[in-house]
Amino acid sequence: MMNIILFLIASLLITLGGVLITISVHLIPVGGAPAAMAQATGVGTGTTQLAAGAGLTGLLVAVSVHLLSGDVLLSIILGGIGSAIMISIVMLISNIGYIYGIGIPLASGKAVRDPMTKDRQDIYVSKGTEGHGIPTAAFLSGIVGGIIGGIGGSLIYSVIYTVLHSQTDFVFSTPAALTISILLSISIYFINAVIASYNIGGTIEGYYDPKFKKLPKAIIVSAVMTFICGIMSLFIVIQQGGAL
Amino acid sequence: MDPLIGMGVLALVGAVAAIAGYTEDLESVVGSQSNPNSQVQLAPQMKYPHRLFNKAISGEPLSNGLAAVIGAVIAVSLESFYDLSIITVIVIGSVAAMMIHMILATTSFFGRISSQSRFKQPIYLDVFKTNLPVIAAYAFMTTACILIICYLMTSYLEIWIPIPLLALILGITVGSIGSSVGDIQYGAERLYQNLEFGSGINAAYSGNIVRKAESGIRSGVDNSWFSSKFGGPTTGIAFAAVLFMTSWITVLFNPEWGNAVGWIGLIAGVLFILATILINRFLEKSARRNFGPYREEEKTEIVE
Repeated sequence: MMNIILFLIASLLITLGGVLITISVHLIPVGGAPAAMAQATGVGTGTTQLAAGAGLTGLLVAVSVHLLSGDVLLSIILGGIGSAIMISIVMLISNIGYIYGIGIPLASGKAVRDPMTKDRQDIYVSKGTEGHGIPTAAFLSGIVGGIIGGIGGSLIYSVIYTVLHSQTDFVFSTPAALTISILLSISIYFINAVIASYNIGGTIEGYYDPKFKKLPKAIIVSAVMTFICGIMSLFIVIQQGGAL
Repeated sequence: MDPLIGMGVLALVGAVAAIAGYTEDLESVVGSQSNPNSQVQLAPQMKYPHRLFNKAISGEPLSNGLAAVIGAVIAVSLESFYDLSIITVIVIGSVAAMMIHMILATTSFFGRISSQSRFKQPIYLDVFKTNLPVIAAYAFMTTACILIICYLMTSYLEIWIPIPLLALILGITVGSIGSSVGDIQYGAERLYQNLEFGSGINAAYSGNIVRKAESGIRSGVDNSWFSSKFGGPTTGIAFAAVLFMTSWITVLFNPEWGNAVGWIGLIAGVLFILATILINRFLEKSARRNFGPYREEEKTEIVE
C-alpha cells in the first residue's frame, strides 16, 4: 500500500502542474477565429488547440529526455523549453504570414502603447478590427506562457510515471507505463486548457490584457478540478500497478 | 546513438514534416475546415450562397489526431500480426485513415450545407464529387507523413513512445500549427480578395466572401491553388522547424552522455528562443516602417 503522505504529495504536485497549465493559457496570446481573419490580436486559432499543441510538444521533449537521462528535473525544464520553442516558432511564422501574406503591421487592440517597447499601437490598427498579429509584448508573454505550460504538463507526467514505477509489484513494460502516464497527463492538460479558455472567453492578448485580471478565479477552479483529477489518476495508476 | 546519424535522421524527419504541414494546410483549405470556416458558414446567412466545400469535422488538431491514430493503430497491428514491410503497413494504415476521414467529410458537408436550406444554399453535388478526392488525397499524404515520422523517431531517435500515442501527439501538433499558421492567408486574404490589400478584415464585411474564381465560380480546389503558394509552405516550414528544433537539442546534446550535456542543450534552446524574439522585433519594426500607420498620429495627449 502506498504511503498516504507520498500519495498526498503526489496529488498536490499534479495540482500544481494543472494550475501552471491554467496560468500558461492565460499568458499565450490567442485571437481565436477572428485572428484568422486578421480581426484580433494573437495567434489565429482556438486557445485549447494551441495550448494542446504546445503542451504536447513539450511533453514529447520531456519524455524523450526522461527516457535518455532519467533525470526528472532536467526533463521537466526541457519540457518547458520545448513547449516555448513550439510557441515561438508558431508566433514568428504567423507574424511572417500577417506581414508578407496579408500586408499588415503587428498591432495590439487592447493597449495604446506596447508595454515592452513603448511603440504606439492604436494608429496601426486597421479599421473595424481589434488589432492583428503578435506584437513584441504579446510575443514575450506567449513564450513565458509556453515555458510555464510545458513545465506543468511535464510535471504531471513525471509524477504519474514515478508513482507508477515505484509500485512494489510493478507489472508493466516501460512503453505501457509511458502510455498510461502520457494519456493521463494529456487529459489533465486538456481539462485545464478548457477551464482557462472559458475564463478568458476564447481570446486574450497576454499579461497586459484586462482579462488577465480574472486569473485568480481560474486558478481556484483549476486547483479544485486538478486535485480531484489527480487523485483519480493516482488511484488508476496504483490499481494498475497492483498495489491496492 | 551516433550524433551524425541522429542529425541525418532529423533532417529526414524535418523534410517529411514539411510535406505533412503543407498537405495538412491544403486539406483544411479545400474543405474550409478550421477558423475561416466561420465565414463560409456565415455567407449564406448574409445572402451570399457559395460553391465552397464546407466541412468542419472538428478543430483541426483533433481531426488530424484522429486520422493519425487510426492509421497508426492499423499499421502497428498489421506489422505485429503479419510479416509485412513498414512501407506497406504505412500505406494500408493511411488508406484506412483516409477512408474514415472521407466519411466524416461527407457527413459533415451534407449536414452543414443542408442545415442552411432556409437561407437558400443549394447542395452542389459536382462540388462534392470534385473536392472530396482532393481532400482524401491530402488526408492520405498527411497521415502517411506522420506515420513515417513516428517510425523514424521510434527506430532511430530512441523515443520509445508507442507509435499510436506518438501519432496522436504529432497529429494534434500538426493540426494546431496548420490551424494557427496556414489559415491566416486563407481567411484574411483569399476569402476577402474583393477588399483592399494590406488591412485586417473589417468586421462589417463578415460573410461577404469572394465567390468568383480566376475562371468561373470558386470552389475549394481554387482556394488550395492559392494557398499552395504561401499558406501551405509556411505551415510546412513551421511544423518542420518545430520538430527539428525540439529534437535537435536532445540529439546534438544528448542527455544520455551526462546531465551536464543536457543542461547545455537547455542553453541552446534558450538561445534559439532569444533569436526568434529578435527576429520578430526586427520584422515588427520593418513592417511598421514600410507600411506606415493607418491614420495620422494625433497631437493630443493619449489617455491611457
